[in-house]
Amino acid sequence: MSGEEYQKSVLDRVSDLFIELLAKLIDRVRPGWYERNRSKVSEWKLMAYALNRSPPGVIGLILVLAFIFVGIFGPIIAPFSYRYFAIYDAPGSDLAQPGTVVVTKDNRTLYFPLGTDHFGRDLLSLLLQGARTSLVISIITIALGVPFGIILGLVAGYYGGKVDELIMRITDIFLAFPALILAIAFAAVLPERIHEVLQSNAWLRDFFLWLFALDQKDAGILSRPLAVILALIIVWWPGYARIVRGSTLSARENLYVEAARAVGLSNRTIMFKHILPNIIGPVLVYITLDFGGIVLMEAGLSFLGLGAVPPIADWGRIVYDGSQYFPRAWWLIFIPGLVVILSALGWNLLGDALRDILDPKTRRSIEFKLKKRRREE
Amino acid sequence: MTQQPIIKVQNLKKYFPVKGIFFTKGYVKAVDDVSFEIMRGETFGLVGESGCGKTTVARTILRLIKATSGRVFFEGKDVFKLKGDELLWFRRKAQIMFQDPYSSLNPRMTVFEIIMEPVRFHKIEVGDPEDFVVGLLETVGMNRDHLYRFPHEFSGGQRQRIALARILAMKPEFIVLDEPTSALDVSVHAQILNMLRDLQRERGFTYLFISHDLAVVKYMSHRIAVMYLGKIVEIAPSDKLFEEPLHPYTQALLAALPIPDPEYTRKKPKIEIRGEPPSPINPPPGCRFHPRCPHAMKICKEKEPPLTQVEPGRFVACWLYTGRKG
Repeated sequence: MSGEEYQKSVLDRVSDLFIELLAKLIDRVRPGWYERNRSKVSEWKLMAYALNRSPPGVIGLILVLAFIFVGIFGPIIAPFSYRYFAIYDAPGSDLAQPGTVVVTKDNRTLYFPLGTDHFGRDLLSLLLQGARTSLVISIITIALGVPFGIILGLVAGYYGGKVDELIMRITDIFLAFPALILAIAFAAVLPERIHEVLQSNAWLRDFFLWLFALDQKDAGILSRPLAVILALIIVWWPGYARIVRGSTLSARENLYVEAARAVGLSNRTIMFKHILPNIIGPVLVYITLDFGGIVLMEAGLSFLGLGAVPPIADWGRIVYDGSQYFPRAWWLIFIPGLVVILSALGWNLLGDALRDILDPKTRRSIEFKLKKRRREE
Repeated sequence: MTQQPIIKVQNLKKYFPVKGIFFTKGYVKAVDDVSFEIMRGETFGLVGESGCGKTTVARTILRLIKATSGRVFFEGKDVFKLKGDELLWFRRKAQIMFQDPYSSLNPRMTVFEIIMEPVRFHKIEVGDPEDFVVGLLETVGMNRDHLYRFPHEFSGGQRQRIALARILAMKPEFIVLDEPTSALDVSVHAQILNMLRDLQRERGFTYLFISHDLAVVKYMSHRIAVMYLGKIVEIAPSDKLFEEPLHPYTQALLAALPIPDPEYTRKKPKIEIRGEPPSPINPPPGCRFHPRCPHAMKICKEKEPPLTQVEPGRFVACWLYTGRKG
């Protein structure tokens, strides 16, 4: 009954394999790591088992992985460029219906599985390209906004007193405005400033063009999605400052923090090595949930005409432009809408499942159940 | 044992403000004018009931919280004025072992990391880190298998051993033991206590042993101080205190100590103290014990008795004795 005491499902075996592979990979880079971190690896496996036992979590994970995969490879696998405008005479309509074959004026026969938009662009390609826009915007927003919020929250919670008051009152000011209104205001004002910066920094422009998988010709309108990113960062950090401050307040009462102080460790070491790793669980859950929130809000801003403008592909923008042809061109509303919903849903389901997985009690109970079932057999 | 103080505490006070809506309503006098000395190599016991300020004394001495006033000398140096390298030296030489081993170890670090962190921070020369940590673990009765495990994989007693190994890694001289066994199973008490005593004998540690368990304090300590409501009421050598307690509070405490002997229990003097300890926010004037004291006199309500030496090595703060000796 040594290694075989678990009653594992197929999914468990898959996740085991994956985690073993990952651990071996780390071991290759840092020899001896696996030996030293056996406990950590078995904890990871338990976390995977916990996820495997939550169907919504698995569905969420699949949706999220699909979103990320499409976000990375979408522009490459797209059948058409987002800048390919098909010119044709469609019988009775200037918008090709889903699944139609169209003969263009330059005598090419093209198949549009999801139809075209009013510019004659393939909707499938636009959605694939739009995934990149959505992914890049949400990742940059999280990558910049969350650390900023975490650091402020840690400092406020750890030092307390006047520092806490100052930071939290500033946070309150940002939280006082409805997030969407604040984001609209910033997204409306920022593009011109950003445009100037991009004009003078060629490498920055090229970097973002590459990131969004855009053509050089679209450099002029690049400032629009970047403004959305900045606006989202501005409205997103205060939430994290709040959560982290609260968790820090309770975590700093732990004796290991006092022990670290008795050793003489600096406040910075205590904050980042002793407090942060112990409060990161809820933060991770929020990050996952917020990915969905950002995808939604970004689509919302674009729908209001504030984000990316054509020809940059953006899910919210496709719906906005398509709304003029509704209900005739229903596919321009329903299909991008469905894609947005599925991505946001994926992140939310995963976030909910993560909440359970990161709770050590759930893990222990799953460990217990797995072992017990084996014993009963 | 050399009669040379390693720690000297003078008039230590720690008041915690009680905040009202707009301004401070008052202070909790957790530690009020406490003075004592601890000799090198001895175990100084500090007893008292819950909330009397024992732990606050320890945390203030180690400069984990700021004292309201008073001074602490560690090997002749004023602890509250230490800076830079000298402060680091103090942090290394004076350590604390906490009551609750379930919260004193960072759950995200392995045993190896927990023990090596202070060593790396203080740049202590140890040779091979793994061998060094295994050596320490063996000293505290654990082994190499435990090296890369996380705290949640251990029992309370084992965690307390890990905490002790972390302290030993820094090669300290003075260790505060803040109720090191009170969170553990009774069966583990003796193991931990004996280990602490053996270590003291081998390495000449000085302990400040805090506990509310009189039997344990008696077993561990050379000298004992009794605290009541933020003040020390009596300091005496361990055996003397148990033979002949002077302060009425100490007498009551010892009388409450259960002794598994029915003959003795029937015969032993019954000293009862009534009521609860008063709130430390508004301690009674005069002697703090007078509302519950069976011997309370007029002077007890008016003037606070000073801690005076009544015999060599015996100090008591009570008008019953202070008056007698002038």
